[in-house]
Amino acid sequence: MSEGGPKPSSSVKLVLLGEAAVGKSSLVLRFVNDDFQENKEPTIGAAFLTQKCNLPNRTIKFEIWDTAGQERFASLAPMYYRNAQSALVVYDLTKASSLTKAKHWVAELQRQASPGIVIALVGNKLDLTTQSTGLEGSMGGLSLSAAANSGADGDDDEEEEDARQVTTAEAKGYAEEEGLLFYETSAKTGHNVSEVFTAIANAIPESTLKTRGGPGTGRGGAGGSSGDTFGGTGGVNLSAAGETNKDACAC
Amino acid sequence: MLSLSSLISKASSLIDPNMLPPSLLNQVNGSSNDGQTPGFLFRSNFRLPDSENPLAVIPCELSLPTGEHYFGRLHLSESFLCFSSSAPSSAAGTSSATTSTAGPSSCGFSLPLVAIRRVERLHSRSYLFALAVTTWHNDQKLTLQFNSLRSTCEKFCEALKKNLRSQMSEMKNLRMLVGSCYSEWLVSGGKIREGMKEEPDAGLGMVWRYPGDAKKLRDKSKMRLWAEYLRENGRNITLIRQPTFHKLIRVGLPNRLRGEIWELTSGSLYRRLYNPTLYTDTLTEFSGRHSLSIDEIEKDLNRSLPEYPGFQSEEGIGRLRRVLSAYSWKNPDVGYCQAMNIVVAALLIYMSETQAFFLLSTLCDRLVPGYYSQTMYGTLLDQRVFESLVEKTMPILWEHLVKSDVQLSVVSLPWFLSLFINSMPLVFAFRVLDVFFLEGPKVLFQVGLAILRINGEELLDVTDDGAFISILKNYFLRLDESAHPRSDNEKLRAVTRFQELMVVAFREFSGITEQTILDQRLRHKDSVLSSIESFAKRTTLRNLGPESKRLLTADLGYIYDRFYKVLYERQERLLAIEAEKERINEKKVVSSGRSISEKSINEKGRIGLGPSSQLMDYDYFREFLAGIAKWAIADSPSSLFSPGFEPTFGRKKSILLSPWGDNAEPADHEFMQRLFRRWDTDYRSGLSLQDVVAGLAGIKGKKDIMESISYFFELYDDDGDGKVDREGILRISEALLFITRRGWETPPGIGAQDPKSPEGGKGNTDPFLGSVSGFIRRCFEYADPDQEGKQEEIATGVEGMDELVDLLDLASDDDDDEDDDDEESVKSPVNEKGPANDISSGKGKEKPDLAINTGNRRPSAMSANAALDPANPLHITLPTFRMIVLADEVLEYFFESGFAESIVLSTDVPRTPGGRSISGPSAFGNFGNGNIAGAKGLRGVLDNIVNDGMRVAQEVRRRMDEAQKEMERNAVPGKYKDDDEEEGDAKSIMEQDRDLLKGAEAAVVDEAAKLAKPDPAAADEDEGSGSTSDHRGENLLTISPSKANAEPMTPGGISPRVEFDIKTPRDF
Repeated sequence: MSEGGPKPSSSVKLVLLGEAAVGKSSLVLRFVNDDFQENKEPTIGAAFLTQKCNLPNRTIKFEIWDTAGQERFASLAPMYYRNAQSALVVYDLTKASSLTKAKHWVAELQRQASPGIVIALVGNKLDLTTQSTGLEGSMGGLSLSAAANSGADGDDDEEEEDARQVTTAEAKGYAEEEGLLFYETSAKTGHNVSEVFTAIANAIPESTLKTRGGPGTGRGGAGGSSGDTFGGTGGVNLSAAGETNKDACAC
Repeated sequence: MLSLSSLISKASSLIDPNMLPPSLLNQVNGSSNDGQTPGFLFRSNFRLPDSENPLAVIPCELSLPTGEHYFGRLHLSESFLCFSSSAPSSAAGTSSATTSTAGPSSCGFSLPLVAIRRVERLHSRSYLFALAVTTWHNDQKLTLQFNSLRSTCEKFCEALKKNLRSQMSEMKNLRMLVGSCYSEWLVSGGKIREGMKEEPDAGLGMVWRYPGDAKKLRDKSKMRLWAEYLRENGRNITLIRQPTFHKLIRVGLPNRLRGEIWELTSGSLYRRLYNPTLYTDTLTEFSGRHSLSIDEIEKDLNRSLPEYPGFQSEEGIGRLRRVLSAYSWKNPDVGYCQAMNIVVAALLIYMSETQAFFLLSTLCDRLVPGYYSQTMYGTLLDQRVFESLVEKTMPILWEHLVKSDVQLSVVSLPWFLSLFINSMPLVFAFRVLDVFFLEGPKVLFQVGLAILRINGEELLDVTDDGAFISILKNYFLRLDESAHPRSDNEKLRAVTRFQELMVVAFREFSGITEQTILDQRLRHKDSVLSSIESFAKRTTLRNLGPESKRLLTADLGYIYDRFYKVLYERQERLLAIEAEKERINEKKVVSSGRSISEKSINEKGRIGLGPSSQLMDYDYFREFLAGIAKWAIADSPSSLFSPGFEPTFGRKKSILLSPWGDNAEPADHEFMQRLFRRWDTDYRSGLSLQDVVAGLAGIKGKKDIMESISYFFELYDDDGDGKVDREGILRISEALLFITRRGWETPPGIGAQDPKSPEGGKGNTDPFLGSVSGFIRRCFEYADPDQEGKQEEIATGVEGMDELVDLLDLASDDDDDEDDDDEESVKSPVNEKGPANDISSGKGKEKPDLAINTGNRRPSAMSANAALDPANPLHITLPTFRMIVLADEVLEYFFESGFAESIVLSTDVPRTPGGRSISGPSAFGNFGNGNIAGAKGLRGVLDNIVNDGMRVAQEVRRRMDEAQKEMERNAVPGKYKDDDEEEGDAKSIMEQDRDLLKGAEAAVVDEAAKLAKPDPAAADEDEGSGSTSDHRGENLLTISPSKANAEPMTPGGISPRVEFDIKTPRDF
């Protein structure tokens, strides 16, 4: 989908953080190779991958640091998020505790990572919930998440009951508060995956890019402070999902 | 002068490593508790279990049945006989000990004594002392010719004989072990031997194939070579390592023997020998149990070497699950760390579950210490070591990396953590492992360095992490290709990149020895731990939950430091005490000490090493409180003369034998127990940092006096029904006095306004005494009777009241001070609380007039005294409590700020206790004044009671107890009397003197305290929270704070008279 003329290209360091087995590596695998593996080996330390993302007026080359999720690896994280311009903090929609962990990561990043880092909060494993658009989740309200919490562990996903433990409203509310991008994704189906990366690419302020791009501004008003960004992309999440889909990125 | 000091500093720099505390050394080495001591080196050289110690050593010549001769040293430990040849080329005697087993050109063995069948003294040449040793595998006979003084030889033999005898019992284990070894099967040519039912388990590979092409790996020829070696040089338990052994390993182990040789060279075989059932026992013991580790393991089972078909099967996954779970149970401090799944999965391809279990523990304890721990400090430490080695050996590359801001550990960390298993193709990773188990952790460094060296040129062109990683990734994928594809020399062309890697690793980096690594680890350890600790602190503080927001960040940091300081210092002290005890009742050396986890005990003391315990029990809590609140320090001699309550943390080991170290001994008061229970929100009998922070936030984070009052009230509302009964009221007053007994910051204008109190202001408890006594009186005055109590009152009211008045009047005449100390305090009736509908009983709850000298004094006083009758249960509610507190400006101030300020965190300006850490003379200064003379009759009695709240607290309780006892015995209403003012006065001055003399005359005090039988503290103990009482011997000479304060009356004076009253009811 890339156009003929050479566009300015710049690389962006992106780090993935989140609890173990929420699907960080799978998201990357989907984004980079458009692939999915049921049993992905846990990441030891961190994995490094790259992928380009074509925006209308520039090309972003993501240098992706995919980190290990287990709690005790947390002390290694600073090594990986050092100098990162963007971060994907991932939680598992079907596991309430993973959102808590995600919040910890957000707090860590906000205080310790480079100032102005663009953070996206991503709820993964949308395929395990009964609704896959992520919109209805907000209607379930708190009672839904409470019920899921008290229920059996998250492994009962294939039951007729919804495995979702984190409502869209809850996570979105939090993201809004903190000025984060927010998406619910499925690495398995590919739902919303490239959108996340595109949104991040758009949200990176041009001033922080290594290679200066042209004078044009980012699409759709993106590119301001992270607070502004949220307003713009909150809509993209739901309405623009179909349009932006795969073509946004050169996967 | 100058030169001298420089000389000293030079000298100390030379001996520096030895000056480090031993604990530090242990941590570096991971397992043994004596660091790089001879014992540690000995065990690590011969791969012996931690229970082994070098007992004797003798120069000796070893002659093998195959004809070789080696000079070296023979070592004897509790259950091993070990030999290492002195490497001919190696320089001095010192290095021979460290390089012996690892050096490829040397010979050696580690022979478990139980594997020795017979030892004969050879008489061939009389001037020589020689032994012939027949090992378990009969075909072997070793000749050991000692080169030493005859007496030394004799002594060695004597010790050997003794140890041999003690090892007889292990014979059964030996048989079991040998039966499970593949080498036996191999040597017997695949025939079933005695004790061998079937081919021993050589891992999943037997069923699911071993990785790599067996033909290409020349597995069959390797097998033949090994069979020959094992036949000639013994096998498994009796194997002798000759130079060929090293060569055989360097070319790669054959598949079916790989597991066993790994086991043997790492030394995990010996662990298995002495703990034959540990693995299965552990599985049985913990079957069905759950833990965080188990959950984490489950998550990763399906993703451990998923491409290997064995791990797509239930069988393979089951094995993996069992080994990882068993280890996580056995060593909960490590639990489970990602990467262990990959390592264990790899092991399981070549060995049985049991073998893998023991090899995993050898890995974690000895080979890669701290790699998989909670904080992964070992991983980070070795990364630092690796970086420094790169800097040293490849300065140009290093400089380039620094310049281009490429972080080396980003690529190298996974190498170390997964032992190259998920970096290289499996076949090659296993080749590295072959050498790694033989030669130790230095191999990881050598290989790592070689990888960088080989790719150096390319890496120099790289400017970012990404390119750096991809070069190496590519390199790993092409390890099987020719290293010199364009060479004319055919031989050179045949050399694969992997072979090249091995050559570079072990030739070019042969200078990297085990000792290099140990030294480097030691050098970087502190900075690595500190950075882990500051990270941990930052993260923890941030995630303490909403409660923590009520405290200042600086305070949180302070609490954090205090919390872990107390936790670890105390653990260390307890360990030291334990060790001391151990040393005292020594003597059971051999049989114990082979369990896997016990060595990890010594790995404590720093957060960076991984938290061993995150919970404070009550004793820790006391110590913690004593550091932040002076009221929590015991009134013992030791703390009396310690410089205030300012935390003093010099870590002098000399005082280690006190469980409190050189910190002030904490008090033990019922109030502290209540706090502990209140803060222990999860009922774990332990407080987490979060509990402590939330708890302190509850006290210090309150800005509102109402909240503060409620907090206190709730502490005493045991069943949460919004009422505090008589017992609780008394306890509240005790607690108030306890907290303020060392004085507290009174606001200007309060307390000082009393001209009678000499000092006023700071450190003055005077106003508080009055306030507390007033508090008690008002509590009883405004308490709501419970319903049953009310009826009772109606029934017995008149008579009881009259009696009471009589008694009170008469009592003042009573001078009897008959001495009788076998008074027993009886518990007051357990709260017989009525329904809460009597709140409205309205005994002037809203009555604003609390003045003392009013006309309606008598009725109210009477009702207050009626309230003393245990037959009339009563309670106060929170509103009542609040009203009573607010009616007194001293109490009001206390709840407003005094209580919160009595706990000093970082931001508070520490108050100087002014050297007077006990309530000074002013505490009882009022006694001399006042209305003693005219103190006859009820009114006088009351006035005097008001003068001394502590006395009231005690007295009231005793009366209740007495009355209760009386009623139980005689079913006759209790009699009351009051004490004689003058006497009480005199006694309390003595009391105050006693306080001052406490240090010097502890024994006397103790005696006095014993006399003070009817004492609230004793009652507390009866109520069975258990920890109230002082069990520790060293506390015999101290009094508990409650005794010292809540009960200041001289015991001799009061109890006898009460006794008298009971014995003579209605005599008046």
